[in-house]
Amino acid sequence: MKYAYIIDNVQESENVNTIAFSSDDDIKPGQFIMAWVPGINEIPLSFSSINKIKKITVKIYGEASEHVAHLKRGDYLYYSGPYGKPFTIVPGKKLLIGAGTGIAPLIPIIDGNTYGIISGKSKKDIIFENHFKDRLKIVTDDGSCGMKGYVTTALKTVDLDKFDMLYVCGPEIMLKSVFDYIKNINVNAQFSLERSMKCGIGLCDSCSINGYQVCTDGPVFSVDQLKNMDEFGRTKLQYSGKRVYF
Amino acid sequence: MILWILKINKSDNMNINTDIGIKLENPFMLASGILDENGYTMERILNNGASSAVTKSIGIDERKGFDPPVIYHDENYVINAIGLSNPGIGSFKDEIEIALRSGKPVIGSIFGKDAEEFSLLAKKMESYKVSAIELNLSCPHVNGYGLEVGSDPDLVSEIVSEVKSKVSIPVFSKLSPNTSDIIEEAKAADKSDALVLINTVKAMKIDIHARKPVLSNVYGGLSGRSIKPVGVRYVYEIKKELNKKIIGVGGIENIDDAIEYIMAGASAVQIGSVIYKYGINIFNKLNNDLNEFFIKNDINDIKDIIGVAIK
Ligand SMILES: Cc1cc2nc3c(=O)[nH]c(=O)nc-3n(C[C@H](O)[C@H](O)[C@H](O)COP(=O)(O)OP(=O)(O)OC[C@H]3O[C@@H](n4cnc5c(N)ncnc54)[C@H](O)[C@@H]3O)c2cc1C
Ligand SMILES: Cc1cc2nc3c(=O)[nH]c(=O)nc-3n(C[C@H](O)[C@H](O)[C@H](O)COP(=O)(O)O)c2cc1C
Ligand code: FES
Repeated sequence: MKYAYIIDNVQESENVNTIAFSSDDDIKPGQFIMAWVPGINEIPLSFSSINKIKKITVKIYGEASEHVAHLKRGDYLYYSGPYGKPFTIVPGKKLLIGAGTGIAPLIPIIDGNTYGIISGKSKKDIIFENHFKDRLKIVTDDGSCGMKGYVTTALKTVDLDKFDMLYVCGPEIMLKSVFDYIKNINVNAQFSLERSMKCGIGLCDSCSINGYQVCTDGPVFSVDQLKNMDEFGRTKLQYSGKRVYF
Repeated sequence: MILWILKINKSDNMNINTDIGIKLENPFMLASGILDENGYTMERILNNGASSAVTKSIGIDERKGFDPPVIYHDENYVINAIGLSNPGIGSFKDEIEIALRSGKPVIGSIFGKDAEEFSLLAKKMESYKVSAIELNLSCPHVNGYGLEVGSDPDLVSEIVSEVKSKVSIPVFSKLSPNTSDIIEEAKAADKSDALVLINTVKAMKIDIHARKPVLSNVYGGLSGRSIKPVGVRYVYEIKKELNKKIIGVGGIENIDDAIEYIMAGASAVQIGSVIYKYGINIFNKLNNDLNEFFIKNDINDIKDIIGVAIK
């Protein structure tokens, strides 16, 4: 188990915090760690910054994410990793599409030629909008920030042909809606999937989709890989291993 | 050139298939509990070099298992305490159906608290068209205190007899090394068609910075390269004492490890933890390396080396 000394904690929104620590790990965009909260749980988290100072942006769902989100300067983060196959970074014009905190692991991809779409239920779910200057569209379910509608509402306003790669991260239902929107047009895209993970090293089968392990074969999959996965956006596994529908 | 032709001919006559009560096209099976809870995953591994897959151990009811961390690893070993998580036998038919699309045999691993539960599970598995049953005797004994079913010879022989009388497919008993006398356990399981050796060895990991056990269950089972010498010893000893068909498992990472188990008396071997190092490609690699080993060492048939080291 590795450990890192927390040097900063910034609150991004009501229930989202970014913790910062320094580590020598060589991390590529899209890779993740298994963060261990002793006595509580172990959860997968990805990086919103991968420089010498690493950052992780955490949304509070349950006990483990709450604990990590509230780590203060001087506390320790215990973890193993990094794990997973990273995004393939292409030169050229890139579009980052993130739902809520899903935008966080895409931030390290930003260079001088990146545009963004951030979606969320409402204004309070939108974070990191200042990383994009004016190259950004925001869309919320209730219209409290940016356009009113879903991620596809924003996609309709964008000329996708102009992009060399789309990078997409968010809940699987959102990924599926982006996938369905672009699958018949000629545009390259990579999706970062989220599934329940118990090991991170490709042994336990809890994160599997059509025989592939999201923790080791993913979490990033290309649009072409996903075209062959009929479980994508349809079924997933519970902690017991039971297959359920989304 | 002539040598080359000889080698090709040789590999034509070479026999790497084996028999453990069911016929396997090669000796490399997927071990229970590693990437075999899900039909699609088993199908993919069976299409990539494994001759058969033993399912995750399945019980009567759905179980979530322990909270993570359930697995700890470093370069030498893995320790797991998954807590027998499984979807329950009622939900497992679909997974087996998907796995069987590979055309390869699937072996149903089951765990229960008594002979009645084991029999019920075995009958269900048989109706799902598995080729054999593997009894996981490392599951907890109802009397508790950390004892395993395998440490109670009377219970073991009752379970094996009951299951044998209820199904017509072969029955394998997977023995626990966490007993005071594994020979007793093996004798108690004598009615089974083959013995599977070994399950994980009780162990734990403490993180010295957090000053706490890492696994949520505190104790877990050790697997991976660290347990190979223990497994080889048990296979050797039991083959020598009882001369039963044996399937070797524990710490196999490469062809030399597999051959060592076979020379100790195993007719086939199961591959588990090493997948965290090399992925599922390990199966194709083992097949290639076995062929090469046979050619280099002038071996024509796997039968010729099973148990050759025993004296
Ligand atoms: C590869 C990967 C990378 C990830 N990276 C990040 C990251 O950078 N930042 C981040 O905040 N999260 C990330 N996640 C998700 C994160 O792991 C989960 O939110 C976390 O496991 C929740 O654990 P918990 O114990 O706090 O909540 P739990 O006790 O597990 O859950 C509490 C409740 O919230 C629900 N819930 C939990 N997680 C989610 C979720 N992600 N979406 C919707 N509902 C949920 C549960 O179903 C449950 O009802 C990542 C997941 C994966 C697979
Ligand atoms: C994560 C994990 C889960 C396991 N689950 C089971 C199980 O459900 N039933 C079983 O009989 N053995 C189980 N085992 C034990 C393996 O089948 C095997 O006996 C052991 O790991 C030794 O082999 P290896 O070193 O090749 O992994 C599990 C092992 C691991 C690492
Ligand atoms: S999390 Fe265990 S196989 Fe992916």
